[in-house]
Amino acid sequence: MNFLDSWLDWSPTLLNGLWLSIRITFVSLLLGLPLGMVLAVAATARRAWVRYLAIAFIELGRGAPAIVVLQLFYFGLPSTGLTLASMTAAVVALGLTTAAFTSEILRGGINAVPPGTLEASAALAVGPLDTLRYITLPQALRIALAPLLGFAILIFQATALCTTIAVPELLSQAYSIGSSTFQYLSVLILAGLMYAVITIPSGWLVTRAEARMSRHLRPAN
Amino acid sequence: MEHLNAVLSGIPMTLLVTAASFAIGATAAIPLTLLMMSPWRPGRLLARVFTDIIRGLPPVVWLFIIYFGVSIGGFQFDAVSAAIMGLGVVSAAYLAEIYRSGVLSLHEGQWEAAAAMGVGRLDTVARVVAPQAIRVAVPAATGYAISLLKDSAVASTIGVTGIAYMATQDARSNAGGLPVYLFAAALYVLLAVPVAVAARLAGNAMQRKVSR
Amino acid sequence: MSNEASSSARALASAADSVTSQGGDVMVRLDGVSKSFGNAPVFRDVSLEVKRGEVAAIIGPSGAGKSTLLRCVNALESCEAGRITVGDATISAGDGVTRSQLLALRRRAGMVFQHFNLFPHMTVLENVSFAQRRVLGRSRKAADERSRELLERVGLAERADYYPSRCSGGQQQRIAIARALATDPEVMLFDEPTSALDPEVGLEVLAVMRELADSGMTMMVVTHEMSFARDVSDQLMVMADGQIIERGDPHEVMTDPSQARTRKFLHAVLER
Repeated sequence: MNFLDSWLDWSPTLLNGLWLSIRITFVSLLLGLPLGMVLAVAATARRAWVRYLAIAFIELGRGAPAIVVLQLFYFGLPSTGLTLASMTAAVVALGLTTAAFTSEILRGGINAVPPGTLEASAALAVGPLDTLRYITLPQALRIALAPLLGFAILIFQATALCTTIAVPELLSQAYSIGSSTFQYLSVLILAGLMYAVITIPSGWLVTRAEARMSRHLRPAN
Repeated sequence: MEHLNAVLSGIPMTLLVTAASFAIGATAAIPLTLLMMSPWRPGRLLARVFTDIIRGLPPVVWLFIIYFGVSIGGFQFDAVSAAIMGLGVVSAAYLAEIYRSGVLSLHEGQWEAAAAMGVGRLDTVARVVAPQAIRVAVPAATGYAISLLKDSAVASTIGVTGIAYMATQDARSNAGGLPVYLFAAALYVLLAVPVAVAARLAGNAMQRKVSR
Repeated sequence: MSNEASSSARALASAADSVTSQGGDVMVRLDGVSKSFGNAPVFRDVSLEVKRGEVAAIIGPSGAGKSTLLRCVNALESCEAGRITVGDATISAGDGVTRSQLLALRRRAGMVFQHFNLFPHMTVLENVSFAQRRVLGRSRKAADERSRELLERVGLAERADYYPSRCSGGQQQRIAIARALATDPEVMLFDEPTSALDPEVGLEVLAVMRELADSGMTMMVVTHEMSFARDVSDQLMVMADGQIIERGDPHEVMTDPSQARTRKFLHAVLER
């Protein structure tokens, strides 16, 4: 069939784009998750100004559309004298978005830690820092794992928006092939399939992780 | 400043696209949910595959497919229609999942009680299940409405003149720069509040209507 | 075992165990302790004493404040007024409490909770070793050795490498007892330890508690288990309406209470 031949022709270019999308996803998560953890703890800090700053950042990061944040860093920043390369702008923008969203997921995880385990730790005379490090955070991360994976899938989908800031990722490659061959539908469907091949199995992994987590943490009683 | 005015002028279109997509999605999700939960196995499979594929592609890709990909003879969708269709279909897939959670959250006993009283299946769904499922689903659906508001920004990639598009236009042609984008971002954050209120009111109205 | 026989066994055990103990050492003392939740008072001006090697049981209707009172002993709940002493550590509600004072108190008291509260992300062995390593500074080897000893004592040595979720409720509670004992507390506090367990399963836990009592541990137990209260405890306290309305020898209190309120409660509990 004719379109399969075209698909074979286009695949190398598209796969390069896909690989770039995946790399952007990883770097953004790598940058964003630790920052998200810091924000999660900061959002419950005792000092008011720390709390307000963290919450303001989180609300802005979650409320602003990713595409606006991407363009802010690429097109908007130069007006202040600082110019970022498109890849840099992409990972900074998606990294900050990741931080804002994951801080809420982690905060939810922290809140879901059974308070009885914290009481037990207190009764054992374990100090607050040790309790945070050995009791709270390990449980919080296990609880938050599935939603975090779900979010990682969303960030991967968001890399498609990097087209607008001249990053040669998957969608961008598909579009340029389309504009030169005018076979938009065919190449976009192929690109769509490539996205689906990553997101759909990942989604099943998330569902299984969720099921396993609820089984493991539920007491046998 | 003219910069800010330019960005503000995008509000009506943003709200239009959001509202229209949500309306389509909320409606189309109903048959989709019914199919997902029907006793007919092939139907369930079909619904599952359909939903997975729709949610598996980034919304912007769907918009590109509909806008650039569809050209039947000389006909092509205009940007706004393509955006509303694309976001509407994506919304249907996500809202179907939300409705399904709402239905699943009901206690098993509801179904059993209705069956024990001899209430037919369709009636059970309409009179017993739906009202309660809606009540559970409203908060999640409201949350989705807000994320849809943000997603509507991707329509700017195909030329829909919402807030994001106006901000980019202004930044690139008038060198508005950073403040323009910050303003646009803040605008989305602020708009989320009335959108959330509207969605909650709509949900409550629907609840009242269904619960008589 | 009759009450006299068991108390002399206890006296022997505690004399053998501790060099400096005398039969009359007070291990836990509450002096004029008061607690409110917001505007609602839970208890006012409560005082009590538990001697070394003694088992004190606290019974009474729900909502009387028994658990809250127990949780004040290791400062899991804070009190508005009064003094709390465990061993040689004291905190005074009026003077403000520092973190080191809190920790000193909690090191001397071990607690067993109604819902066990084991750490689900750690194995049974890790659960018992955790505080030994972080609080007492024991090495992993020393801590694990002691943990296995204690698990052996509660009859669960073979569960050491399991996760709590794979253990039954009764097993989890016995592990919780081992965990509380691991840091060598001077007093053990039990907050309705069998209330979340089936009656049959509760027996295994009560057996461990009896053994602990026989070995001379000072214990304070909030419980609904009347036979345990009658047969194992040395001092029975009845708490109702925010006060300890009656206290004394368990047999005397339960067969011939002096307060009408006690009579009413015992009637409801014993003659169902």
